[in-house]
Amino acid sequence: MIRKTPVGVRILQYTFLVIAVIFALYPVWFALLASGRSGGRLYTLSLPGMFFPVDWSFENYRFMLFERPYLTWLTNSFKVASITTVASLVVCTSAAFALSRFRFKGREFFLIFLLAISTFPGILSLVAIAQVLTAIGLFGKHLGLILAFTSATLVFCTWNLKGYFDTIPIDLEEAAQIDGTTPVQAFFLIALPLARPALAVTAILAFMTGWGDFIFSSVLVPAPDTVKLAVPALYSLANSVSVPWGQFAAGAVIVVIPTVLVYLALNRYFEAGLTVGGVKG
Amino acid sequence: MVTWKGTRKSLTIFLFLFPTMLGILVFNVYPIVLNTYISFTNRNKFRPKPDCEVFLTGLLDPLCWPQFRQNAQGGLGSPYRLADPLFANYQALLGKLFSADALMALGKILLVFAPLVGAVYVNRRFDREIDRPISSGMVWLIAVLLVVGLAYVLSIRAAFNQLMSTGPFIVVVLRTILFVAIRVPLTFVFGLALALILNDTRLKGKTFFRVALFVPWGASSVAILMALVWQFFFRQQGTINQLLAQIGIQGPIWLQNPVSAFGVVVLADLWFSYPFFMVAILGALQSIPVELYEAAEVDGANWWVQLQRITLPLIRPAVLPATVLTSITAFQMFGTAYAITAGGPLAGADTPGATEFVMVYAYRQIYQLQNYGRATAFAVLIFIMLFLATLYSLRITRITKGAYES
Repeated sequence: MIRKTPVGVRILQYTFLVIAVIFALYPVWFALLASGRSGGRLYTLSLPGMFFPVDWSFENYRFMLFERPYLTWLTNSFKVASITTVASLVVCTSAAFALSRFRFKGREFFLIFLLAISTFPGILSLVAIAQVLTAIGLFGKHLGLILAFTSATLVFCTWNLKGYFDTIPIDLEEAAQIDGTTPVQAFFLIALPLARPALAVTAILAFMTGWGDFIFSSVLVPAPDTVKLAVPALYSLANSVSVPWGQFAAGAVIVVIPTVLVYLALNRYFEAGLTVGGVKG
Repeated sequence: MVTWKGTRKSLTIFLFLFPTMLGILVFNVYPIVLNTYISFTNRNKFRPKPDCEVFLTGLLDPLCWPQFRQNAQGGLGSPYRLADPLFANYQALLGKLFSADALMALGKILLVFAPLVGAVYVNRRFDREIDRPISSGMVWLIAVLLVVGLAYVLSIRAAFNQLMSTGPFIVVVLRTILFVAIRVPLTFVFGLALALILNDTRLKGKTFFRVALFVPWGASSVAILMALVWQFFFRQQGTINQLLAQIGIQGPIWLQNPVSAFGVVVLADLWFSYPFFMVAILGALQSIPVELYEAAEVDGANWWVQLQRITLPLIRPAVLPATVLTSITAFQMFGTAYAITAGGPLAGADTPGATEFVMVYAYRQIYQLQNYGRATAFAVLIFIMLFLATLYSLRITRITKGAYES
């Protein structure tokens, strides 16, 4: 048995934890507070208002949702992110299946090649991507953005799914093949349902690529207001001096809080994912 | 394994890999090729258009391909050409590096840090022996003293200034390496401390702390918006300065001072990235058998010795790849610095600002200055660096995996 932790050490540990929790939660809490403060001025928080809700109201939310095209931006973001998720899951599952269940010449090379390619910074390939999309007439359209996002997720999600498929024993599928299914059927009927946790994590990360992205969407879909995505639109709001900070905060809260909740709900999968495959840092 | 053979097998593999290959080709491989080509041209704000008569331009630029020509934007500007001399963009970035003085300065700086590398090797050698002649702390102390001594003898400041005047590439890269060198160990120590405390099964409220401390990870996927919140804290009229004003202190303009602006970016990025380390270390800690600590306890080892001899060596296989991975992502950090300082505070027109890390520099060169030629040359150089780093990290990962399995 390990000896008990002395009381003094315990107190120190709790002090450290409480400070860390304040550090972790305060920025989010602050955004929540700021989003409830109405008023036209940029800096409207008083000292107590920095820590506790004072005169908290939904005014900024109402304004953002009904008097600005914010709902449109949110819908656009949601649309682009969900289609990206579906597309990237379909494409990656099929690639990961081939890489995990078949042995063929160039398999190792293909896997390493994917990793090597992905080290080219996305910001910089964007010049060329914008040019390709201009050429095929998809620049400034959601479809072009979806294509770019989907291919941006390919490397990570193929590796992640392939890693997970490898851990599912193939015996089950072989048994199914003896019963007369083809290898492809066996995989999709038996192994895929078992891979649900990995599919969930991959889906969330693919969704977040579209939902939280700033650079791709601000470059590839710059204008007009009706096609913009929520994050770049909010970013330009925050930097224009005439817009009160509370309105930006309300918009940010609408984007950030669901994200945080989804991550918290899946937190166990992330922890498992870290030990099995590897999740982005 | 799947039992199919021959054509049927090849066809299946091909069909299933095809969408991925197509995506990678169009959106990854082709951009790299086009980028490399543009880095040898003088394409910029005034020369945005392709000159389809030039063979390579006509071949590589999609706007020159016949079926897409009608989509090319019209407007002003003349076509870009191959740069003259061919390596002009690369020379602008790091040309002065290849003078004797600058190479000398680089050599000096590398020499100064050599003792640290030496310390790692000496420690590794000593670790194999049962009785270490000198403790690892002592080796590190000697190494650090050597570094300081060498820095003084070789007048490192002058060498450093010499190196910084060779062009933006070295400035930006060194600054980014400094950022990584501060941010990653800081994140590691913070994450380790939290993980060690949370690993105690008798701690009350553990679940609450774990969930609360996990929150920034969720927020990091919309990093740019949360970074704006951090910027708000440190504005001239921001939260921190309002707090300071309450106790009668006139707060500084945080984001105008190079050092404090750098610090703010590190702090905000620490917020985004420590949960990853915390979770990774926590997972590794839980795989350490408790008997080891019990045996150490019997032998009278105190907390510090246990940490050094049991905890750290045993979490190493899991944590080392995470560290390398984080270093590579930290090197490519964009959102935090861009939202908080946009690369500033700027020192002059053509010199990079104090927080202008590699990605921020590239972004500004492309989208604000439209300096495509130089930005793509920069990209090629960064790509080479990252490529080598990734190969190295793969090697490390494989080695540590071997250690786990055997």
